Amino acid sequence: MIITKRRDVKELQENIKDYKSFFLLGCSECATLCATGGEPEIKALKEELEKQGKEVTGSFVAKTGCQVLGTKVELKKSSKEALDKADCILVMSCGAGTQTSVELFEDKPVYPTNDSLFLGNMTRMQMFDERCSLCGECILDGTGGICPITACPKGLLNGPCGGTNEGKCEVSSEIDCAWVRIYNRLSKINRLKDMEQIVEPKNWASHRKPMNLNTREKASSGKDKPV
Amino acid sequence: MSFKDALNSGRFVVTAEAGPPKGTDISKIVHEVEALKGKVDAVNVTDNQSAVMRISSTSFCKILIDMGIEPILQMTCRDRNRIGLQSDLLGASILGIRNVLCMTGDHPNAGDHKEAKPVYDIESVQLLGVIDALNNGKDMMGNDLQGSTDYLQGAVVTPEANPLEPQLMKFKKKVNVGAKFFQTQAVYNIDNFKSFMGHARKYPVHPVRKDAGYNGVKILAGLVLLKSAGMANFMNKFVPGIIVPQELIDELKAAGKEKALDTGIDIMASHIKQLKAENVCDGVHIMAIGAEDKVPAIMERAGLL
Repeated sequence: MIITKRRDVKELQENIKDYKSFFLLGCSECATLCATGGEPEIKALKEELEKQGKEVTGSFVAKTGCQVLGTKVELKKSSKEALDKADCILVMSCGAGTQTSVELFEDKPVYPTNDSLFLGNMTRMQMFDERCSLCGECILDGTGGICPITACPKGLLNGPCGGTNEGKCEVSSEIDCAWVRIYNRLSKINRLKDMEQIVEPKNWASHRKPMNLNTREKASSGKDKPV
Repeated sequence: MSFKDALNSGRFVVTAEAGPPKGTDISKIVHEVEALKGKVDAVNVTDNQSAVMRISSTSFCKILIDMGIEPILQMTCRDRNRIGLQSDLLGASILGIRNVLCMTGDHPNAGDHKEAKPVYDIESVQLLGVIDALNNGKDMMGNDLQGSTDYLQGAVVTPEANPLEPQLMKFKKKVNVGAKFFQTQAVYNIDNFKSFMGHARKYPVHPVRKDAGYNGVKILAGLVLLKSAGMANFMNKFVPGIIVPQELIDELKAAGKEKALDTGIDIMASHIKQLKAENVCDGVHIMAIGAEDKVPAIMERAGLL
């Protein structure tokens, strides 16, 4: 899921100082699990804004805020009037969710209430860590399933650097050395030979921004068939 | 005799290290390295060491060449992508630089520009491969070069890394992609270093290519000059892969503030003597860290001058 945290309050206040009425849009998926865009957070932000003398015309928790069409349909059904009345939309999900609203509301300012941090695994309630960098070409097949592009602050592909320190990373003693983890894992599954392979420089062209993907079958042209 | 010839001659080789300053006034460092001229086989020039921004390694290497000192260009992968690294390697070559030490590079988090974007587009093993390609007239994409480089490429290894096995696996990769020499992270326990050398000596000759005119991977033991007990404790606490044994710390403590540096020089000289007498490795890399002018004294006491 996409991990988010609340943006600095002062920055948001600066963003919205010219506006009086707001529509608050949360998301039932990642942002709800991160406690940045579910019902309780919407309620809290509403109270905050009202304390500042602002008006909240309405709010909604989108099912999946990064799904453009679905969100459009939901909002039209549930919140048309409240949206029309609002000067400004505050999106309480990730950067993708914010840009759904930017696409849907061409003539209204849209501001994010959250910073988008990373693609995360949830380890416990409201505890997240980053394991995948969405780099475009998966290398987990050669690393015992642990991603060094993500888990190593240098993204090293051929083993630990000189900063490895009793299983910890030079960057922080709170980070386990990715390559010691990979070594231990490969030892356990009897695949240490995978670590002997010299890994060539990564092809970053497979991660060229902005990425997009279309796997729809286009019957008319026969192009873009799903693989 | 060039550094390459010295390595190939089989004699005990000595390299030292110079860290360019932050700022354009190089008078102090020039004065210090002057003391090394004619004494050591080559001098490493660090590449923004500890991720602290300083004069570029290549520029200071050129200063050394003009002074008549052979430089070893330290090149990290922290600050340049593959285009920048190759371009700088071609550039260093036309300035007459012939030795490159390939390193990953300390993370920006360690330095004075913590907000910098770390690059690490390629890393030390891959950089060694890039140099091999440039030496053979190709860039890393296989495009022809108009004039190739002629580098002796080296790498680093941490003999006291814990755990050691992943470090050794990477060491082997570096040998396989063409590292001709290694300068190690600082070692203080000669017995531990000997046991590391036991592993390292399994690769006496380049196992894949058996390069013509080159008779094996050369290993120079890294030695950092101990200047005080406080410095030793600091390294034990904060520098990964460096373990200063308690008995050496006690020795420095007993020497007192004024004599500590002298004791540090003695300790290093006795280590060098032992490494040479017992033929443990091919030479030493002396890191005096700001006391480069003490290198001749160290060498004298070690019986090398």
